Amino acid sequence: MSTTKTHHNKIKVNRVDRLIQFIIYLIIILLCLMILLPCLNVLVLSFNDGKDAARGGIWFWPREFTLDNFKEVFHDGSIMDAYGISIARTVIGTFLSLLITTMAGFALKQKDLPGNKLLTVLITFTMLFGGGMIPTYIQYNNLHLLNSFWVYVVPSLVSVTYLLMVRTFFEGIPDSLEESAKLDGCGYFKVYTTIMLPLSKPVIAVVGLYTAVNHWNDWFAGAFYMNDPSKWPVQTVLQNMLTKAMSAQQEITSVSQALAQGAKSTTTDSLKMAAVVVTTVPILCIYPFIQKYFAQGAMIGAVKG
Amino acid sequence: MASATRQNKYKPPKQPISKRLVRYWPLYVMLIPCVVYYALLCYVPMAGSVLAFKDYSFKKGIWGSPWVGFDYFKTFFMSYDAPRLIKNTLTIGVIKCILEFPFAIILALMLNEILNMKFKKVAQTITYLPHFLSSVIIVTMIQKILAPNVGILNQAISALGGDGSTFFLMEADYFYTILFSMDLWRNIGWDSIIYLAAISSVDTALYEAAEMDGCNKLKRMWHITLPGIRGTIGLLFIMGVGGLLSSGVEQMWLLRTPGNMSLADTLDVYVVRVGLQGGQFGYATAIGLIQGLVGLILVVTCNKICKKMTEVSLW
Repeated sequence: MSTTKTHHNKIKVNRVDRLIQFIIYLIIILLCLMILLPCLNVLVLSFNDGKDAARGGIWFWPREFTLDNFKEVFHDGSIMDAYGISIARTVIGTFLSLLITTMAGFALKQKDLPGNKLLTVLITFTMLFGGGMIPTYIQYNNLHLLNSFWVYVVPSLVSVTYLLMVRTFFEGIPDSLEESAKLDGCGYFKVYTTIMLPLSKPVIAVVGLYTAVNHWNDWFAGAFYMNDPSKWPVQTVLQNMLTKAMSAQQEITSVSQALAQGAKSTTTDSLKMAAVVVTTVPILCIYPFIQKYFAQGAMIGAVKG
Repeated sequence: MASATRQNKYKPPKQPISKRLVRYWPLYVMLIPCVVYYALLCYVPMAGSVLAFKDYSFKKGIWGSPWVGFDYFKTFFMSYDAPRLIKNTLTIGVIKCILEFPFAIILALMLNEILNMKFKKVAQTITYLPHFLSSVIIVTMIQKILAPNVGILNQAISALGGDGSTFFLMEADYFYTILFSMDLWRNIGWDSIIYLAAISSVDTALYEAAEMDGCNKLKRMWHITLPGIRGTIGLLFIMGVGGLLSSGVEQMWLLRTPGNMSLADTLDVYVVRVGLQGGQFGYATAIGLIQGLVGLILVVTCNKICKKMTEVSLW
């Protein structure tokens, strides 16, 4: 009796389960489409003739395929300069961040270092409370960071989350390795460079790539801490285009405007789409490499919350 | 064997502080850049918050400027702007921190049920992607997609026989919907990672037992998976609550248009407007200080409540 009942239960459960499974697949496919289709539309628009696109009716395949938008973007010197600035800040900023973060993580890993607890508390506290935008701005000014390239690099040198991630990872490296190196006469610097760094590639990759993405995507520093538009990173240049378009309500007049531009096949809008694609491609290129470390990074981060 | 165990248990006595200070000197050298960073870029500005009580003059600096007491706070709370700003900030904070909160958990639960590993991996790759796009890029895309007549949303509406000329970004009515969908679109996948990691540590024997007892998938999710990850949920909720009053200046700044200005004006945006752009440093600092303190109090209180109820705590 009871076995047949269990059996009956199981069949019923299986039928319900299959239905639920089906719904889950459906929802996830829909979600993925909702993420991909808008991106695809923008990509297609960047490859379509600008004036033609202003007539509307472009979905997921270009109607009048052209590379003019991209040609114009690459010919526009200001965007290429901005690209250079973005690359410089990403490379320099990421390198310095990694150096400082790993050195600090290595020191803070030593539990009986006098002052360790106090320092950790002070550093973590900055996550909960900060000086606010204006006092920070005044401090940048006092440090002569405003309107200099370093305003892109210095403010984001160390992040509490990444520092804790690095320290947690270092703590997982067996002490015995360090001890034996010390017996061989290695000092702390030697242990740091020859043991800690080579063994920490996963965490260095995660933190480095996250930092690089943050640098690449930042527009705020350029917009508010840098007066000279020729020293803006590419995201700030894009933001400037965007804000101008929003306040001028260009969208409403895009057709008439496109007609007014005469022989040119590109419009401000189509150029913007090309710029978006050009700016996003580097992220898409490194994305597969970061992805490998996602779960790992989340786990290390989760330990210390 | 016995001696080996004893050796494992043996711990060298802590050296006196003076000896450790000498021994660890290279470590202190390695800490210098980090300490200098936090001192100069976090703690000096924190002390600079006294600006909220001073009439800032560029020549005299923060410390030389004359005191004005609580004048700025009075001015702010008496001002015509204050109720609107606070209401906007709270609304957006609730949308971002509370309304969006469950979705990442639901996505993680769904991803966990997918047995086809290839499909799962592709789905994860796609859903994590928007997190890596900058807010400028996302807003530019939104502007294009929601454009009147030529944007794909309006084209779809026309194709279905509706009126395809709505300028969504210029109409205040659509502002919260746009904000909610955009933020969810960007973060749902990324936020689900941490829940997925937590789910993977739930004991699988529990599921088998429940299946024997005739629990379907939904029941198993509700009675086993969710209780299994309640610690993670609690922690992330506490951290989210701290952001209730400071929902980020970047998005708002970019999404602001003449049409939705009445709703998109938050405290963060206001600080940038009157402080960085308007030069009223003392006044803007005061508003920033209120935000910071309220955020701190919220986190501490929420942490206390959570600790009492679920024994989950940030510290």
